[in-house]
Amino acid sequence: METMFGIAVDGVAYGMILFIISVGLSVTLGLMRVVNLAHGAFAMVGGYVASYAAQEAGLPYAAALVAAVALTVLATLPLERLLYRRIYGSANELAQVLLTIGLTFVIVAGINYLFGPTLKRIPLPELLTGTVELGPKAIPAHRAFVIAAGAATLLGLWWLLERTDFGIRLRAAVDDPAMAAALGIRTERLYLATFALGTGLAALGGVLGAELLPLEPYYAIRYIVLFLAVVAVGGAGSIFGSAAAALALGIVDTAGKYLIPSFGEFFFYAALILILFRWPHGFFKGRTA
Amino acid sequence: MTSVAERDGKGDGKAGRMTGRTPLAARRDLGWIGIPLVAAVGLAAFWLLPDDLALLTRIAASALFVLSLDLVLGYGGIATLGQAAMFGTGAYAAGIVAVNWNNDPFIMLAAGGLAGGLIALTTGALILHARGLTLLMLTIAVGQIVQEVANKARDWTGGSDGLSGIDPAPVLGMFRFDMYGRTSYLFALAVLVVGLLVARRIVRSPFGLACRGVSEDPLRISAIGGSPKSYLVVLYGVAGVFAGMAGALTAVTSGIVGLDSAGFPWSAEALVMLVLGGTGRLYGAVIGTAAFMGIHHILAASDPFHWMGFIGLFLIGIVLFLPGGIASGVERLGGLLRGPSQNNGEDRA
Amino acid sequence: MTRTLRNALLGAAFGLALAAGPAGAATIKVGVVAPFSGPFGVVGKSFKEAIEVYQAEHGKTVGNDTVEFIYKDLDQPNPSQSKALSQELIVKEKVSFLAGYFFTPDALAVAPLIDEANIPCVIFNAATSAITEKSPRYVRTSFTLWQNTVPLAEYMAKQGIKKAVSAVSDYGPGIDGEAAFKTTFEKHGGTVVDTIRMPLKSTDFAPFMQRIKDSGAEAVYAFLPAGPATLAFAKAFNDTGLRAAGIKFFGPGDLTQEPDLPALGDAAMGITTTFNYSRAHDSAMNKAFVAKHKEMFGSVDSVTFTSVGAYDGVHVIYQMIKNGGGKIDGAKAVESVKGMSWESPRGSLTIDPDSRHVTQTIYLRTVEKVDGKLENVEKQAFPKQPDYGYKLAK
Repeated sequence: METMFGIAVDGVAYGMILFIISVGLSVTLGLMRVVNLAHGAFAMVGGYVASYAAQEAGLPYAAALVAAVALTVLATLPLERLLYRRIYGSANELAQVLLTIGLTFVIVAGINYLFGPTLKRIPLPELLTGTVELGPKAIPAHRAFVIAAGAATLLGLWWLLERTDFGIRLRAAVDDPAMAAALGIRTERLYLATFALGTGLAALGGVLGAELLPLEPYYAIRYIVLFLAVVAVGGAGSIFGSAAAALALGIVDTAGKYLIPSFGEFFFYAALILILFRWPHGFFKGRTA
Repeated sequence: MTSVAERDGKGDGKAGRMTGRTPLAARRDLGWIGIPLVAAVGLAAFWLLPDDLALLTRIAASALFVLSLDLVLGYGGIATLGQAAMFGTGAYAAGIVAVNWNNDPFIMLAAGGLAGGLIALTTGALILHARGLTLLMLTIAVGQIVQEVANKARDWTGGSDGLSGIDPAPVLGMFRFDMYGRTSYLFALAVLVVGLLVARRIVRSPFGLACRGVSEDPLRISAIGGSPKSYLVVLYGVAGVFAGMAGALTAVTSGIVGLDSAGFPWSAEALVMLVLGGTGRLYGAVIGTAAFMGIHHILAASDPFHWMGFIGLFLIGIVLFLPGGIASGVERLGGLLRGPSQNNGEDRA
Repeated sequence: MTRTLRNALLGAAFGLALAAGPAGAATIKVGVVAPFSGPFGVVGKSFKEAIEVYQAEHGKTVGNDTVEFIYKDLDQPNPSQSKALSQELIVKEKVSFLAGYFFTPDALAVAPLIDEANIPCVIFNAATSAITEKSPRYVRTSFTLWQNTVPLAEYMAKQGIKKAVSAVSDYGPGIDGEAAFKTTFEKHGGTVVDTIRMPLKSTDFAPFMQRIKDSGAEAVYAFLPAGPATLAFAKAFNDTGLRAAGIKFFGPGDLTQEPDLPALGDAAMGITTTFNYSRAHDSAMNKAFVAKHKEMFGSVDSVTFTSVGAYDGVHVIYQMIKNGGGKIDGAKAVESVKGMSWESPRGSLTIDPDSRHVTQTIYLRTVEKVDGKLENVEKQAFPKQPDYGYKLAK
């Protein structure tokens, strides 16, 4: 019983980290139909900015987090104008894959050049170190924080996409761009804003998840499969789907590693195949939230 | 809104613009010139670059692998990031056969092709109902599982240390695989050329045309009484034979098989090489492989720290300025040379 | 090519031609295959720097011959590419020695080549015991998992630890480490209560921590590939309260390699490891080595075990050239360094005539802050440790 509880708690904590890093990809893929393999690279850029801000510029954690998200969004917006705008739409999947892989390579090389190949860290504030007792189980304080942040992100996104004017226009533009444009919705600006949302979420995840997925130049390539798995299981574009998928995969992964560690990898991918077999379009097919 | 998977299922051909569908699609493999050209250039390289045969051998074997991906993606419209599962299975099968039973290179090739084909048929039947991102993820998962099996079966595969000690017998009992790599290269080139011939035969056969039909409009195939999925599964299996043979060829020429041969990066690299060269053309696979590996070799020799940045910029440039891959550039050039009446070279090569 | 560069090259060529006056003088080439790009790029960098330090200290010539190093980049474990690159070095560059090799499969791939070409291969790192069994032309100047783990397990048993758990990454070196640990620790009266093999691509280590906790062990022996996995493991060990619960953390020294220490931060404090080299090793020779490195490259951040692996490897190569009087016959060259002993920045070394692997002192170290910088501080030395895994591990 205690073991089950332990697995559940660890699994949820891991799942929330997966959610927070992957949800941005789900947004760009689901709403803008871009297979953005550079998502991991954007997350990494956010992490590096935070690391630099905290270690070199001496900013506190919260300020470094905000700076990371803001600077990453600013730095990637020109990319939307210059590159992504040319490859929107589902007919361009291969072009998207190739272009975003190319972009990832460039970012990896750039980060490697600027910061060197060694691991970088984002120092945590006193408050987030140590452990939090949860009944018989102690979990790292940082993870408790990430769970809370994940829940906040989930609610915030739901509100943004379902309850605001922006969300309504965005969904209209996604469902029928021509009609939306005819109704006076400026789709170009809408897409730019959504792209910014996606990269901002990537940066947020990169910073918050850095304890688990340590920052180094190959971060961008190393974890992209994990992010894609969450989005595929959740259903592209579905915020709640991503959350459910991340939690499910987190729990499956944790259970597999705990119960049969030496077959943990099998367990994860076998579960992935089974899930995708049962729900080929993801848990929540399609809906934006 | 609809999911990505569904949209793709509607059959606007995920390869879409990059493949550039045309009614004369089957003629885009440069007619009868393409394959003799590959053979001639390959032989010329043998004389001109006698010190670089190790690299050329790797290019030839990898080109066969990328060719298998072209069959799947360019002709079946199946987006996959798990083709290395078949390559790795073929390589390990060939290696295990050579170490334990028979080290004749042709038997190794046959074992690799058989193993690659079998794994492709079984996994293909399981996963090919899916489309888009879901399919992409399923192919990745299959690849990871194959790699994990190879890691676990240490007694057979050597695990992460690699399966070493593969010592193929001389070709036809006469030509030894020596360290100068002449035998290796000519053997690999011969297998590649035969592979191209067979592949061309397949894509021009009624079956190949039907597969192309499936990738472009599955509904129509259903309407005329065919099962779209079964076409794709068979195509996937055939491509698996090619990939398995490419793996076996690598085992023959390098004498060792590592876990990397079934890894995700190798699948992704193959995809990059194919799209770089141009999909749906067969010879685009050869061009893309030679270009990518050649550039890598030169850049890695001169500036290993930054080659990744260069290749990244190169990829971006290809997407923006040459969306059909290098091959489409060649074709466009060909079209220009042939006269202004054929202004759209991409449709007729 | 700019004019200055061309002039410089011409000048150099001319200078070389002049310098190469005496008959028989030649350039002896050494091909180095290592990761210079990619996630392990720092390894190639440390190899190259150590080679340059050695050449700065000992000159670029042996007798009348100039020794030249040619580098080939191999970023990931990829044996078929390793073989192709080595083949190119032999056929095109006409090297007399092969050297480097960070990953085991990459080193194993060249066995048939070096036998056919009769070329010695000096391995600077690849640490699986079985490699040197595959060809008589391999010499290795690094370490093996067995070599590091046996003294560690003995030490742990002597500390009075009765129950331990091993947690290793599920791949060749990890399994080697687990076997070495279990065999030795149990021989000295301890019990290994659980052997955990963690998938190589793990990112979340919390479940393993829970398992370690549940096993009731007093100490954990861990081995993971250096880099992100080690960092995440060490962090999880602290964050999940295992350290607070008094469980002791041991492992081979790859875990706390110097370039990773700044990122590991305080999470690494107190981890006890055994290894063949620490940058903080207290000897005149090491101080000189580190100082020279600092002088040439401005920083010592990349100085670590791979540095001495390469440094001593070059020493062996120089010795082989000397012994042959400028003529290189692979088999004879290897024969001539069997049993050779010398002093290195890490201590005294001997090439074991059977295994052609270095017998060396293994140090017990603890991560501590020295002048505000994390270092592996040596606590105890176990001299003359051979490769216990030779002809033992599969």
